[in-house]
Amino acid sequence: MAVFKILLINGLVIGAIYGLIALGYSLVYRASGLMSFVQGDMVTIGAYLGITFYRVLGLPFAISFILTFACAFGIGMLLERGVIRVLLSRNVIPIYIVLATIAIQYIIQNTAQAFYGSVTQRFPAIFSKPTLTILGVTAQTEAYFCLLISVILMILLHFFMTKTKFGTAMRGSAMDAMAAESVGINTSLSTGVTWGLSAGIASLAGMLLGPMYGVYTTLGATIGRKGFAGAVVGGYGNMYGAMVGGLLLGLVETFISGYWSGTYKNMVAYIILLLFLLIKPTGIFNESAIQDV
Amino acid sequence: MKTNSKKKILPLIIGAVILLALPFVAQMITGNDYWVLILCTMLIYVIAVSGLDILFGYSGQISLGHASFYVIAAYTTGLLNNYFNIPLFITIPCGAILAALLGAALAYPASRLKFHFLSLATVAFGEITYYFLYTSPGGFTNDYKGINIRSIPFLEGSYTKWYFWLLLWAIIFVVAKIFIVNSRTGRAFIAIRENTHAADGMGVNVQKYKILAFAISAFYVGFAGTMYAHLYKYISPETARQKQSVLFLTMMLFGGSGSIVGSMIGVVIIEILLELIRPLQEYQMLLYGILLLIVIIALPGGIVGGVRDVMADRAKRKLQKEGEGGAQNG
Repeated sequence: MAVFKILLINGLVIGAIYGLIALGYSLVYRASGLMSFVQGDMVTIGAYLGITFYRVLGLPFAISFILTFACAFGIGMLLERGVIRVLLSRNVIPIYIVLATIAIQYIIQNTAQAFYGSVTQRFPAIFSKPTLTILGVTAQTEAYFCLLISVILMILLHFFMTKTKFGTAMRGSAMDAMAAESVGINTSLSTGVTWGLSAGIASLAGMLLGPMYGVYTTLGATIGRKGFAGAVVGGYGNMYGAMVGGLLLGLVETFISGYWSGTYKNMVAYIILLLFLLIKPTGIFNESAIQDV
Repeated sequence: MKTNSKKKILPLIIGAVILLALPFVAQMITGNDYWVLILCTMLIYVIAVSGLDILFGYSGQISLGHASFYVIAAYTTGLLNNYFNIPLFITIPCGAILAALLGAALAYPASRLKFHFLSLATVAFGEITYYFLYTSPGGFTNDYKGINIRSIPFLEGSYTKWYFWLLLWAIIFVVAKIFIVNSRTGRAFIAIRENTHAADGMGVNVQKYKILAFAISAFYVGFAGTMYAHLYKYISPETARQKQSVLFLTMMLFGGSGSIVGSMIGVVIIEILLELIRPLQEYQMLLYGILLLIVIIALPGGIVGGVRDVMADRAKRKLQKEGEGGAQNG
C-alpha cells in the first residue's frame, strides 16, 4: 500500500505536468489549427528562466514565478507574431510551419546549452522542509506544491476561459474567426494571447519540475512529446480532455514503471499515443478534430 | 527534333563525366578520402530523400519518423548477418523489405489521420523504435551501445569503390522513382495530394495508394539505411530519433518537394552546409536551427520552387511585353 501511495502521488505530479503542457497544445490547436512542437521547449525555457531569476539573481520564488510567466508569455506571442503569422500570411504548406517550430526547438535547446552548458543544473529547493507527509504519504514538498499549483492553474484557466470577457472572445475566435471578427472581437490579439498563454503555462510547468528533476536542455523535448500523448488521449483540442489525458498518462506510466519495469516506461507513453491515434483518434472526450477522408 | 535530343544528351554526358571524376577530384584536392566518404553519404541520402519525396512530394502525406525505417532496416541486415552469418545479398533486401512492410502496417490505420496527426503518429512510431532498440528484450540489439556491422566484402577498405557502388544504386532508385511517378500509380498519388475527396470520387482507391506510397518510401529509406550501416560499419538507436527524420525532411524541402532533381540538390547543399559548420561544434546545431528557420521563411518552395517561380515570373513578363508590343503594333 505504501508503494501504491507513493506511485499515486508521483503519477499525479508528472500527470499534472503533462496535463499543463497538453492544455497548451489544445489551446493552440483550437486557436490556430496548428501543431507547435515548441510547447515542450517552453518547459525548458521556463526552467532555465526560473534558475536565472531564482538562483542567479536571488529573487523570491513568487516573483521569479511571475517573471518567468511574463517572459514566456512574451516569447510565445513573439513566436506567433514573428514566425507563425508570417508563414501563414504567405500561404505555405502546413509542413513548413511544423518544421519552423522544430527549427525553433533546435534554437532554444542550443541557446540554453550555450548559456548554461550541457551539465544538468541544480534548481534550488523552494521550501526549507524537504519532505511533507499528507495522509500518510511522504513525498518531496515540491511534489505537493507542483500538484497544488497545477490544479490552481487549471481552475484559473477554466474560469478565465468561461467567465471572463476576454476568455469568451478567445473561445469565440477559435470557433469561427470570421464570425468573431464580425461581432467586434480582435481575433488577431486573441490568437496571440492564446500562444502566449500556452507558452506561459508550459514555462510554469518547467519551474515546478525543476526542483524535482534538475534542469537540462532536453528536459522539455521529452516531456513535450509526452504532452502530445496526453492531449491525444483526452481528445486533441479539448481543454478538459487535455487535463484528464495528461493525468491518466502520468498515472499509467508511473504505475507501469513501479510495478512492472522502468525500462519500458517511455515506450508505453508512445504506444498509448499510437494506439489512441489509430483506434480512437477522437480521444476520451470524443473531440472530432482529427480524422480525415 | 534532332537538335532537341542533342541538347538533352550533352548535359547528360557532362553530368556523367563529373559524377565519375568526382571522387578522384575530391581525393586530389583534399589529399585524403574524407570527402569521398561525404560523397558516399550524399548518395545514400539521395536514395532516402527521394523515397521520402514519393511520400510527401507526390502523395502529400507527412512523416516525421522516417529515420526509424532507416534504422530498422540497418539493424535487420546487421543483426541477421552478425548472428546467423546470412550473406549480405540476402540480408540487405530483407532489411529494406521489412521496412516497407512496417511502413505499410503503420500506414494501414494511420492513413485515415489528418495531416498533423499523421505526423504525430510517425513521431510516436519513431520514438517506439528508438526505445525498443535502446532497451531491447534480452539486449539482442546491444542497447544504447549500438552494433558493429560488417562492410560489404568486395567494397571493404575503399571509399572510392563504395562511391561507384552507391552511385549505381542511386541511379537505379532515382530512375525507378521517375517511372513510379509517371505511372498510373504516380498519377494516383498526385491526385490524392491535390484533393483526396476528388481522387476518391474519380475512383482512386485512396487508402490503397496511401499505403503503397508509405511502403515504397519506407523501402527506399530502408535500403539507404542498410547501405549506411554497411558503409559506416556501425549503427546506434540514436539515429532513429526525430533529428535524423527532420534532416531528411529538411533536405527534401530545401531542394524542393515533388521533384526529381529537388531531392538531389537539397541533399548536396544541406550536406555541404553541415560539413562547413561542423568545426563550430557546440554551436553547430544552433546555427543549423537558425539556417533552417531562415530557409523556411525566405524560400518556402525550396530551391526548385524558387527557380520555378522566377521562370514563371520571367515568362509572364515576356508574355506581357509581347502583349504590349502587339497592342502597339495594332
